[in-house]
Amino acid sequence: MLTKRQNLMETIKGGKPDRFVKQYEFMNFIMEAPMGAMVGPGQTIVNDWGITFTWPEGQLGGFPVHDDEHKVLKDITEWRKFVKAPSAIYPEERWAAAIEHANAIDRNEEFATCFVAPGIFEMTHHLMSMEDALMALYEEPEDMHDLIDYLVEYELAYAKELIDHLHPDCIFHHDDWGSQRSSFVSPEMFEEFFLPAYKKIYGFYKANGVELIVHHSDSYAANLVPYMIEMGIDIWQGVMTTNNVPELIKKYGGQISFMGDIDSGVIDFPGWTPEIIFEKTKEACERCGKLYFIPGASHGLNFGCFPGVYESNDEAIDKMSKEMF
Amino acid sequence: MSKIEEVKVLVETGKSKKVAAAVQEALDAGVKAQDILDAMVASMGVVGDKFSAGEIFVPEMLIAAKAMSKGVEVLKPHMAGDSASSLGTCVIGTVAGDLHDIGKNLVSMMIESAGFTIVDLGVDVPADKFVEAIKANENVTLVACSGLLTTTMPALKEAVQTIKASGLDVKVIVGGAPVTPEYAAEIGADGYAPDAGSAAVKAKEIVA
Ligand code: B12
Repeated sequence: MLTKRQNLMETIKGGKPDRFVKQYEFMNFIMEAPMGAMVGPGQTIVNDWGITFTWPEGQLGGFPVHDDEHKVLKDITEWRKFVKAPSAIYPEERWAAAIEHANAIDRNEEFATCFVAPGIFEMTHHLMSMEDALMALYEEPEDMHDLIDYLVEYELAYAKELIDHLHPDCIFHHDDWGSQRSSFVSPEMFEEFFLPAYKKIYGFYKANGVELIVHHSDSYAANLVPYMIEMGIDIWQGVMTTNNVPELIKKYGGQISFMGDIDSGVIDFPGWTPEIIFEKTKEACERCGKLYFIPGASHGLNFGCFPGVYESNDEAIDKMSKEMF
Repeated sequence: MSKIEEVKVLVETGKSKKVAAAVQEALDAGVKAQDILDAMVASMGVVGDKFSAGEIFVPEMLIAAKAMSKGVEVLKPHMAGDSASSLGTCVIGTVAGDLHDIGKNLVSMMIESAGFTIVDLGVDVPADKFVEAIKANENVTLVACSGLLTTTMPALKEAVQTIKASGLDVKVIVGGAPVTPEYAAEIGADGYAPDAGSAAVKAKEIVA
């Protein structure tokens, strides 16, 4: 039997996998790595960039607060005055647990993976709200270019720290680029603003020993796949059914692989059942096939919102492996 | 290009900095305010259709709506009376527990440009507040409820059922990524639309 890592490589290289890759199994997440403050359930925090996040009790997650009082950047032309990157350097002792974890990973079996979030696009709307960020791309393109460059600089500085301390061989990077039905910005705009940013970021990781780039965008983004390939993404995680995944595999398989085709919304809800999960998993496996495809929920980490969902999805994939391999 | 054509193009392409001047020039040239407004409404219709068809994206919608509102500001003092819209008032909001409002705001802009007066209750709106708003505002013909989370689908249902149970004579339209036409029907809504462009079309259809 192939190791998880070998099986993943066979799947994305068009070789001979001996089973389906089971969701996130190939990524061993080093979550101990220091990163900016993240909001927890029931909390309100101000992160290192000055962005206020709140997570009301009983909600699925946290979100940035954008009323006038809390918005970090109210006028894009003044970003230099209001946007101040935190230091990417953390005291050595903050790395200790992460280094220990990284050293304990059998890299023949799994990929030592660092988690990076939020992404560049997300940073722009966390700082200034989604609507302002999207309009600024039209109204003040030069300032947006400069702001994005500034955000990229920070990301590269942080990337250097991750690499120096942990030598990851996989990066799992979030940046939601669309809604369920469309990308947030047109392909032309994406090419102008975000392609160059990610070429720098993913290029830097790849030049420094990272073998695998997994990018999360649980959305429609089929129109952006050529840019994903150009910026060096190996696996697009979160691909929703609205993208027509089988068609994407036919068109781009070999250049990029697709992880998802099971929308979290339809399996990860209070009334979930193993039967629903199996049905959706079966559909995905049968229509997408064995190569360039990893079945899994579109959710952006290795757990579900509701207890039991992730595990049940794993079981469904095991069943499909028995049936199809 | 005629002045009115110019206004249309500026709205469609979202040139919010130029539209006010163009509207003023059109007025100065003797074009009736109502005709200019109609032209802008038509432009937003085009924008909505293009968005539904996937030809344009959220930023293009946002800047077009912004341009339209700049134009409307110039027109307002020239409109007879308060030109109460024939389609009535639409109360809109994102349901309790849900804070997503980008989609709701786009729907609101499109419904407004279709000829409704908008009362926007914002996000995290409990079912009762929709009912209160229907009572507190004049000539409410439509309520639009948005929900983006699978976990707030029950709140959407509650909103629709509370409005219906109040016995008030309004239509209810629902939408948001996890909402399906089947779900909308099941919870008793009068209409559903998948995106902002078609929401405006649907809104007109169900109050007609
Ligand atoms: C942007 C975004 C955010 C922004 C919202 C900013 C804002 N001001 O709205 C922020 C970052 C704040 C956010 C927060 C959260 N989000 Co969010 N978010 C999204 C995202 C990426 C896009 C939504 C969006 O704006 N789309 C663009 C608009 C134009 O599209 P739309 O909303 O679908 O609206 C269109 C149609 O649906 C329709 N429509 C909408 N409303 C109505 C109403 C009527 C009457 C009609 C007719 C039509 C209609 O017309 C609109 C225009 O065409 C989605 C991902 C996705 N794939 O959708 C997740 C998503 C919706 N979020 C999600 C989650 C979990 C959250 C959080 C709980 C936590 C988090 N960290 O992610 C918090 C929620 C807080 C809360 N209680 O609401 C999940 C929901 C999962 C689920 N099980 O339902 C999604 C699907 C992402 C995911 N899988 O993780 N989010």
